Order: sequence, then C-alpha cells, then structure tokens
Amino acid sequence: MQRMALSFPEEVLEHVFSFIRSERDRNVISLVCKSWYEIERWCRWRVFIGNCYAVSPMMVIKRFPEVRSISLKGKPHFADFNLVPEGWGGFVCPWIGAIAKAYPWLEEIRLKRMVITDESLELIARSFKNFKVLVLSSCEGFSTDGLAAIAANCRNLRELDLRESEVDDRNGHWLSHFPDSYTSLVSLNISCLGSEVSLSALERLIGRCPNLQTLRLNRAVPLDRLANLLARTPQLIEFGTGAYSSEIRPEVFSKLSGALSGCKQLRSLSGFWDVLPSYLPAIYPICSRLTSLNLSYATIQSLDLIKLVSQCHNLQRLWVLDYIEDAGLDALAVSCKDLRELRVFPSDPFALEPNVTLTEHGLVSVSEGCPKLQSVLYFCRQMSNAALITIARNRPNMTRFRLCIIEPRTPDYLTLQPLDAGFGAVVEYCKDLRRLSLSGLLTDRVFEYIGTYGKKLEMLSVAFAGDSDLGLHHILSGCDNLRKLEIRDCPFGDKALLANAAKLETMRSLWMSSCLVSYGACKLLGHKMPRLNVEVIDERGPPDSRPESCPVEKLYIYRTIAGPRLDMPDFVWTMEDDSEFRIS
Amino acid sequence: MRTGEKVDGQQQTQSSSSSSSSIDSSNYPLGTAKTATASSSSSSSSSCLSSVCRNTSNSSRTDLITDLRLGLTISPSSSQPGFPNSNPRSRNQTSDWPPIKSILRSTLVEKQNQWSQVKPSLFVKVYMEGIPIGRKLNLLAHHSYDGLVRALVHMFRTTILCPNSQPLHSGNFHVLTYEDQEGDWMMVGDVPWEMFLTSVKRLKITRADRC
Repeated sequence: MQRMALSFPEEVLEHVFSFIRSERDRNVISLVCKSWYEIERWCRWRVFIGNCYAVSPMMVIKRFPEVRSISLKGKPHFADFNLVPEGWGGFVCPWIGAIAKAYPWLEEIRLKRMVITDESLELIARSFKNFKVLVLSSCEGFSTDGLAAIAANCRNLRELDLRESEVDDRNGHWLSHFPDSYTSLVSLNISCLGSEVSLSALERLIGRCPNLQTLRLNRAVPLDRLANLLARTPQLIEFGTGAYSSEIRPEVFSKLSGALSGCKQLRSLSGFWDVLPSYLPAIYPICSRLTSLNLSYATIQSLDLIKLVSQCHNLQRLWVLDYIEDAGLDALAVSCKDLRELRVFPSDPFALEPNVTLTEHGLVSVSEGCPKLQSVLYFCRQMSNAALITIARNRPNMTRFRLCIIEPRTPDYLTLQPLDAGFGAVVEYCKDLRRLSLSGLLTDRVFEYIGTYGKKLEMLSVAFAGDSDLGLHHILSGCDNLRKLEIRDCPFGDKALLANAAKLETMRSLWMSSCLVSYGACKLLGHKMPRLNVEVIDERGPPDSRPESCPVEKLYIYRTIAGPRLDMPDFVWTMEDDSEFRIS
Repeated sequence: MRTGEKVDGQQQTQSSSSSSSSIDSSNYPLGTAKTATASSSSSSSSSCLSSVCRNTSNSSRTDLITDLRLGLTISPSSSQPGFPNSNPRSRNQTSDWPPIKSILRSTLVEKQNQWSQVKPSLFVKVYMEGIPIGRKLNLLAHHSYDGLVRALVHMFRTTILCPNSQPLHSGNFHVLTYEDQEGDWMMVGDVPWEMFLTSVKRLKITRADRC
C-alpha cells in the first residue's frame, strides 16, 4: 500500500481524493500514511464540525488551509425543546472572524443552533468574494439588517435558507437590497420570518432568477399573491406557501390552481398556514407529482387529508398533524407505496385527553402498507408492545424511529406492562437503526435490549425512563456507535457515568438533565478525563454552594481538543483540573 | 503532530477502545429513585388555568370559575424533578414536554387559543312554565339577548317577547326571567348582556300574564 501510494504523483492522488465526498472516508484516508495525510488536508474543501466547542477555529484552519464549505453546529439538540437556558452559548463570532481571514474563497456556511450577529453577517458579506450558500438553521441573534448586508454584497449567492431561525424582523425591505443585476438565486427559505416582506421586491427578485428551484415563503404572504409569484417561477421544484386562506373567490382559486399546474417540476409543498380547506383542491392536479408534503402547520381535518393523500401516489415524505387520524393513515398506507418518512405531530399537545382518534393502529397500518418506510416521528397517546413488535417486524429497514407518547410513563394500554418488549423488538429487528427516541413506561430492561442490539445506534433520546444506574450502564457499555446521547428525567447517576467515562471520549456529546448525577461526580469526571469538557448548567447558583452529593440540574459533556470554552454565561460551570485534585 | 485528526475532536487512538465496565447487574444498588409508576397521571397541580377560564370575556365570572376550580382540584404538586405541571384539562404550554420545536409549538398554542375563544362555555338550566323537564344551554354560545331569545324560541317552540319590548300581559306570549346570584327572580334584559352573564344562575320562561 505504502509503495503504491508513493508511486503516484501528488496531483493524481489529490484528484482521486476529490471524488471522495464522505467525511468519514476522508478521515480514514488521512490515516493511511503521512503523505496521504498531507495531500488530503490540502484538498479538503468541505468540513463539518458537529460541535463548535470541540475544536478551535485556528486548529481547523491550520489543518485544512483550503476549505470552501464549512458546517458548524452549536447548542445541544435539546435546545429545540426549551431545555437549554437562554444565553448558553454557541456563538459563531470567533469562527467567522477567523475564517474571514483564512478562507477568502469560502463559498458555503451552514450553521445549526448557533448565535450569529448582524456584525458577523456583515463580515461574511464583505469577506468572501465568491460566497454562495448561507444556511442558518434554528439560529438566532441576527436581524433583517444583517440579511440586507448579505443581499447587497453576495453577488453569487445561490442559497439563503433561514429555516426555523428566530430573526429580529426590523425591515421588510431587506429583499430589495439584492441588486438588479443579481440573478443567481437557486434557493430561498424565509418561512420563519414573522412580518411582511416587500411583495413587489420578492416578485422582481424571483422573476430575474431563472435557476430558482426552492422558494419557501412566510405566513405573511397572502394566498391571492401566490399565483403571481408562481407564474414567474415555472421551473420551481420546492414551494412553501404563506397563509393558505382567503375569501372564497372562484378567480383566485382558478388562478392558483393554474399556476401550480404550470410548475411542471414541482415536487414538494409546505407552508399552508391557516389553511382553508376549500382551497385544497387547487393542489389536487399536481398531487401525483409530489414527493414531499409538509402539513405541520395545516389544521386540516381527517376527511380533507384523506382526499389529499389518496391522490399523492408518489409521496416519499409526509409531515402532518394528528388530525390525519388513524383513518387517514390507513388511506396513506393504501395510496403511498413509496413513503419513506412520516412525521405526525400533536395538534393539541397540552391537553391530557385525546382530541382526535390517532392511536398505534395508524402507525401499524403505515408500517404494513409502506415497504420503504424508514424514518418515523410519531406523537400519540396510546401504544402497546404488540403494536411495536408488529411495526418492527414489518419494517426491519427502519433507520430512524422516534416515538413520543405524550403522557410520560404511559404503559402498554392493553396489558399495563412497561413498553420494554416493544422497543426491544424495534432495536432487535431494525438492524440499521441509527436514531431512536423512547417514551412511555420503561424499566432498565429496555436499555439492556438497546445495549445488546443497538449496535449501529448513533443518537438516542431518553425521557422519564429507567429505574437505576444500570439503565445508563447498558447504553454506554453496549451501543458501540453511539455519538449523541440525551437524557432527561431519569434516575441515572454517578456510578454508571464514572464507570463508563472512557466511552464518553468516543462520543460527540452527552446531555443529562433532571437526573441524579452529583456535582462531586462531575468534578471527578472533569479531572479524570482532560479531553472532556464537563459543563454543569445550574440556574440555582454556584454548585459548590450545595453539598457535593447534590444532583446537578443539567449536565453537558463533550469531547474536545480545544480545552474549556471561554464564553460561558454565569449559570454554566466547567470542571477544570483544579488544584484540589492535583494534590491528591 | 496528530492534533485534530477528526475535526469534531475524536481521537482516533481511542475510538476502538470500548469502555471498561465495573458495574455488575447482580450487585448493583437498585432503586436510587424508583419513580416509574404506571399512574403518572396522578401528578397534577392546578397551576395553569383552563383555557375556558382564560378566554372568557367576562373577568368577574372568570375569577369565580377559577376559584371554584382551584378549590376542587388542588392537589400536592409533583415531587418528580422536572415533571411538567399539569391539571386535569391542560398541560403548561410553556413547558419543555412534549418535545416539539418552538415554531410549531407557538403555532399550535396560537391555534388552541383561537379555538378556545370559540369554545368557552357557561351552561345554565332553562325551565319553561308547565313543562317539567328542563333543558341546558350554553350562554357563551350567544352574544346578545336577541340571540339567546332566538335559541330559546327554537328550543321550546314558543313565542318569547323581546326583553326590552313592553309586556303585553297576554297568555299567548312568554317572557324570559332569570335567577340571580342572590336568589331573586329578575326580568331578562334590564342589565347589559355582560353583566347578565356574571349574575345569572338559571333561566325560566314564564307566561307573560304572570308577570
């Protein structure tokens, strides 16, 4: 191998490596020998950093001097569900400052759960001459002023995606900052914006961008303007509507229906805020083309949904509220044989009584009818072991299975037993399962199954489950490929954590909140494992003001080669290697 | 120099070393916190008001209902850490459970609030003179005396004089009366509709010539 490698000139190897897109494969290549390491690092154009605190910007820049595309993730995943206090961190500013100097040819920045200021957006707009892609997913800290700077300066921008970000909406005219000569837009997602955008600016912009493929509007765009917008973009592939309601006017309906049918490439629809069912038939003519339909914001009753999905024979992805009910999922199972991904969200998650008939039957039905189904997120109020076993047997190809039974610690409603056997079947039969979320009444036994069978599991979310440290021990000692583990409200404590300390260095991160890990154990772990950042998040004040045996509120542990972070707010404590331990 | 082998901080040399274990299931101390029980629904507290109470247009009536509800359903709050507060009707809408992203969560909350503006109810009993079986009627489904009278006319298939018209003292016509909080029987229509909602206990359709 060594000899063969040496026999190629560097340029040839560089060219060969350029065909290898997978990050993991590139990592492996760099381990072959010193010369491959050198060649590979000079031709790495794309880096993905799953935790912005795991490495410093300078380390990345030193190792990979020619990066064109950078992806960074900040806050823990549980931030999506309000578990990470405001001001926790995830600031992208130091990164932008460093890469602005080091990578003048940077083309793409993709951020997830990070805080980005207008100043950073302005720096991006000024620094990169050939900037093309800006994706801000679940980000915050910026306003439409920063977006105006991007619009005004990035002449080659192809993609601007603000999905689920919290934007300070100061100025609806930021879109008019795209210069008249600008024509390169391919993808625009402004669905998260609260206030109105200038519709005339939007119409002009999309009208002069012949390559536009994705357009996701916000709720403030009225339905009667959609036809005009669509008429300018017949090449559109993905479309997100604004508010999908209006007075019933036949001419609005027929114009919209005609405009949708005119987009011959259209494959994906989303939006549908405030949907008025009378306007749904406008999309019937294009249903058979659709591969993706996101109705998460659409309060459409079961009968209307049944009519809709029954016509979507090529649907691969459906996101929908539980208004679809079991009957709608039955129809889905009959009509959509190509379905790969199903998400069913609760329409009234805060009520304790069901407002719709959505049970385990619907999911069983889809698992029987849709042979390609591999990704599920399902909120419901009752489940049984028998149903889970059937689903697992039906769909051994499942890779992502997230089940949320809304009331915590709900047992099998038929037998009143824990759901251990059901989830056990999921991990046993679905050999390629990579992501799993548990809910319902669960004992330590389910974690024994997960540790035994979940060999490819990469991300596991656990809430209100288990009886003792043994549960956590089964996970950490058994799941060989686990990268992210998030746990809340489980009686897992010090022993399991400390006994598996070495495992934590093989993972990206561990989150534990409202568990039983003591402050003393956190200190010990931080001391024993210098490559781990052990961060205690406690809004009750300094943890050393309480007994060491007192459980910490929240704990976030991640491996890093950058050392403790320096931007912690006053409710985060890092377990540095302090003198107390050094003496002993 | 091998720093930064993998960008997200994993050290290759350690990726293969699985964690060594010292926990043995047989001697492991169980039950540090055996909290898992089948009856999780018992954990309820009345810290959040029902949507009915929140959205009733009349504030004094709201307070009354609220007090009654709190008095009836109060129970010790949950001892489980982080367990979301809930009462028998609804869960705390700002809590972190169930796990839903904030944009969808706020859209759903907004929707629920819209719905519950239509939904709140104030059911009272209605009797008609000469008919032994009463009916029940949701006053909050109506927005004025006129609407109420129209509903009752339909319900009891009779003619009811409009509240502010002069009583005709005729046996063919009926008038609407109500019992107020003090137990007095009053003619419907003398006070503003909103004030009527705060004081009405039940309704009675009486022959006009009896008044």
